[in-house]
Amino acid sequence: MSQGEGPATDNPVAYISHHLQPLQYGDGFWQINVDTMFFSTLIMLGVMWAAYKVGKNVSVGAPTGAQNILETLIDFVNGLVKEAFPKPNKIVGPLGLTIFVWVFLMNAMDLIPVDLLPKAAEMMGIVGQDGKYALKVVPTTDPHTTFAMALTVFAICVYYNVKNKGLGGYFKSFLVHPFGIALAPINFVLTMVEEIAKPLSLALRLFGNMFTGELVFLLIAILPWYIIPIPGSMWAIFHILVITLQAFIFMVLTIMYISLASEESH
Amino acid sequence: MNITATLFGQMITFVIFVWFIKAYLWEPLTSAMDERTNKIADGLASAELGEKRIDEANVEYSRIVDEAKSKASDVITMANQQSSNIIGEAKTISKKEADKIIALSNQQIGQDLNIAKDALRKDISRIAISCAEKIIKAEINEEKHKAIFDEALKELK
Repeated sequence: MSQGEGPATDNPVAYISHHLQPLQYGDGFWQINVDTMFFSTLIMLGVMWAAYKVGKNVSVGAPTGAQNILETLIDFVNGLVKEAFPKPNKIVGPLGLTIFVWVFLMNAMDLIPVDLLPKAAEMMGIVGQDGKYALKVVPTTDPHTTFAMALTVFAICVYYNVKNKGLGGYFKSFLVHPFGIALAPINFVLTMVEEIAKPLSLALRLFGNMFTGELVFLLIAILPWYIIPIPGSMWAIFHILVITLQAFIFMVLTIMYISLASEESH
Repeated sequence: MNITATLFGQMITFVIFVWFIKAYLWEPLTSAMDERTNKIADGLASAELGEKRIDEANVEYSRIVDEAKSKASDVITMANQQSSNIIGEAKTISKKEADKIIALSNQQIGQDLNIAKDALRKDISRIAISCAEKIIKAEINEEKHKAIFDEALKELK
């Protein structure tokens, strides 16, 4: 892809590795993935705009249009929350809804043909540090996004643990769970692993699924053009399921983790 | 993955996003949904109440109609009784009056008859006497045959 033109099959390795390279600026800590930030914020602003419009013109009577869709979503999320939480919780519902909508839409960026936006950006002069196109349009294929959400959820879990069990009670749960106080050191290690595994699995599951999904699209893209439509469309249709499922799993696990953290000490 | 500003940028974005959705979408919509639920529940309850009231009103209505019917038939019975009473009374009064009139006229007739009989008796006796006088003048004397005439007069009475 030295010229940025010609068929992808000329140099598949370079083609794929370019596609997996984010548009980055800065060095060290201040390295910013501009593409990830841009697309996730763009989606956020779009959702915020729609949410603001619906929220402002909310009607108590028969709901119409977007309000109907959002009410169905809210009812769905609220049902999950009410199942998991014995006492009402004000933050989990909106958190779950936001996660579902945001992750779903970020994942859905995967369905845009893989070359479309990077090529368009290259034409506008937006290129990577090596002067060639570099643009990851799916924010969830960037672990920064998935870890950011998972760590925020983790922080909320810690907050609820401390709030409901007390700082001492939370620490004690590390020592006595699951084998009782006699095996405190083993308990501590096990619970530590268990706690850390939660955000890690949350982040890596979403990242892994979306990254491999993107990779399969790229692999399909290096096939001859007359073959692409068949596996491409099949994978895209299948991917709709993956997109929805991953957004749903992230939301459900978030609700479950926070509900576990909200339990009184036992 | 390195820990970079992107991670924190995404976290901040996420927190802002959640806050925004909570404030501008979740809360207005859930409160509207709750309000709607209450409204529907209220509407159903008042519909049920209205139905109950209609039932009650129907019962009351039929009770009033029944009462009115029985009252009307009572009035009719009473009126019939009253009229037959009046007719009966009138019959008795008029019969009495008629009887009185009849008795009075009978009495009158009796009196007239007696007067006529008296007058007749006197006339007959006078005529008989005058006839007898004439006969006796011609044949026998009055004193001799008076006893016979008296006897005949007694029979007339």
